[in-house]
Amino acid sequence: MRVLLVEDDADMAESLRASLAADEHEVEIAGDGELGQSMAATGGYDVIVLDRMLPKKLGVSVVRELREQGVSTPVLILSALHDEDHRVEGLNAGANDYLGKPFSTRELLARVRALWNGRDRDVQTRLQVGDLEMDLLARTVKRGGKKLDLQPREFRLLEYLMRNSGQTVTRKMLLENVWDYHFDPQTNVIDVHISRLRSKIDRDFAQSLLHTVRGSGYRLEA
Amino acid sequence: MRPSLALLRTTTFRLALAQAGVVLMFVVALLVYVYFATIGQLVADSDVLADQEYAALERAYAEGGIRRLNQEVVERAARQGPLLYVLAEGNGLVVTGDFQQLPSLPGESVQRIDFGFESTDAEGAAQRGRARGKVGRLLNGPILLVARDLGDSEVMSGRITRVLWTVAILGVFLSIASGLIASWLASRRAEALASTARDVMAGDLKRRAPVRGEGDEFDALAEAMNAMLDRLERLMQVSRTAGDAIAHDLRSPLTRFRQKLEAALEAPADTANDREALRKALEEADSLLDMFAAVLKLARVESNPNWRFERIDASDILRELVDFYEPAAEEQGRTLRGEIAPDLFVNGETGLFTQAVSNLVENALKYTPEGGHIALTAARRSDGRIEIAVSDDGPGIAPADRDRVQERFVRLESARSSPGAGLGLSLVAAVARLHRGGLHLRDGLDNGEGKGLGAALVLPAAA
Repeated sequence: MRVLLVEDDADMAESLRASLAADEHEVEIAGDGELGQSMAATGGYDVIVLDRMLPKKLGVSVVRELREQGVSTPVLILSALHDEDHRVEGLNAGANDYLGKPFSTRELLARVRALWNGRDRDVQTRLQVGDLEMDLLARTVKRGGKKLDLQPREFRLLEYLMRNSGQTVTRKMLLENVWDYHFDPQTNVIDVHISRLRSKIDRDFAQSLLHTVRGSGYRLEA
Repeated sequence: MRPSLALLRTTTFRLALAQAGVVLMFVVALLVYVYFATIGQLVADSDVLADQEYAALERAYAEGGIRRLNQEVVERAARQGPLLYVLAEGNGLVVTGDFQQLPSLPGESVQRIDFGFESTDAEGAAQRGRARGKVGRLLNGPILLVARDLGDSEVMSGRITRVLWTVAILGVFLSIASGLIASWLASRRAEALASTARDVMAGDLKRRAPVRGEGDEFDALAEAMNAMLDRLERLMQVSRTAGDAIAHDLRSPLTRFRQKLEAALEAPADTANDREALRKALEEADSLLDMFAAVLKLARVESNPNWRFERIDASDILRELVDFYEPAAEEQGRTLRGEIAPDLFVNGETGLFTQAVSNLVENALKYTPEGGHIALTAARRSDGRIEIAVSDDGPGIAPADRDRVQERFVRLESARSSPGAGLGLSLVAAVARLHRGGLHLRDGLDNGEGKGLGAALVLPAAA
């Protein structure tokens, strides 16, 4: 996909460009907020990755003005300020995701893909991955026609994985989107939740759907 | 400070000047009043008296002609008293009376007259006097003057005026003097505060403003200033120890980081080894970054007063935290149970509150041995505050160390082997303070051997 990277630090921009390119994205770079905004408005990008602190115009202002202009390209804000209030400010301005620095490259790549993937997710009422089906209205999950009994939290976890099926989701993404937690638990809490969910959806079936992606996170895939 | 000049600029002195001005204005008003009450009254009385005498003499003239008038005037002028008489011919030549000359020739009509005159007293000394009366031409020409000597009353009012001016000058002087003393006293105390501030600025953080115990406004100011200095000193202390601790705690991971990279570079090229070295260096970098993030977060909690507080459902958040950690605890062979009263509300910042409690739970998970028990309890206390406690039956912390572990970067020897920077409890304590509450460490769950550790967050309940 085509990614617009708006980042003023040339070293950082080059390193991110290389990572995104290695993940098979076509990357263009803007070095300041104003240039970034005009490129974003006209360039037809799939995802915009925007630094928060930019020369000429702040990332948050860029997003707000893009949204006012009717540009709905998904935006990920990168920021060294990742306290609750800054995150909320960024999301309120119209950003789709907010990632605090420092972050791992895998985290960034996973989120860029998730943004692209999730651009039209809200219309769905049924999700399906292989023979795993989720009815969002009836709040039921079936695999191979057999009803699975999930706790509410497991349901939300699975819903998030299904919405992002086929791509890697990181532990941080799960924490933020399923639990709305914005801190890093020191223990392997997420892994345990995943393994419990896995035992419910995969144990009695020959084909595993929930895969561990070493060093990154998890992927639900048929 | 140059007291003589500086004193004139003080607020108290300016107030004293204003007060002196008021005294002066009061005395002037009093003078005006005294004048009207004495001289004014006297003049009015004189006019009535002169009118009466003039009318009586007019009647005498009408009844007995010039001879009778002449006789009356001679008689009356001879009497002791304040009234003065003069009878003159139409051309102004005095016929008889108290004066040899008329002060002025009257016109056609009867008129009031106010004039000065010279007279001789009993010892023959010349005296200047003032008189006021009525002068006019009678039928066929003779001029009659009746007046009252104002001499005595003038003297009296002159004395009163002098007394009042003396009082006025004394009052102004006293106002200024008391103002000078008051401003000297005030500026001495203000100077004591200022000198404390200067000493503190010069680096003497222990210096405190003197409090006299009189409970006046200067004491209140000094107490507020001292409280501010206490807080300042504590913050300086904290940042100094934090600085030392950061320097110390950063050095070891940075050294390991450098050493790993160097070793990999020195060794002969070997992809597997290099990758392993890079992986380890990355781990060290991550732990350094985590530590920075923790320090920054702590600093933000402690120094930023602008958190968006809202009424949060603590019960709900705590139930979710138990729900979140319970599977991991079980996986690790520990039991986590929640005993959470419903509908506990606090005013707070959801993210910080959640993280504070999660820090306590993670600490308990980390330090409780396998098979241990952890309880997250939350209830409203009898004093109305909300107590959220994470208790375990682990090794606990000796009472003597319980305050110390809340300071940043403090890690007990027993904890040195486990990961962490010693910031977890500091953050919890800072979050508690931000929420107008506190963190209290105490005994935890008694398993028969040790006392365990109980970490209690006590926060005010939201209305």
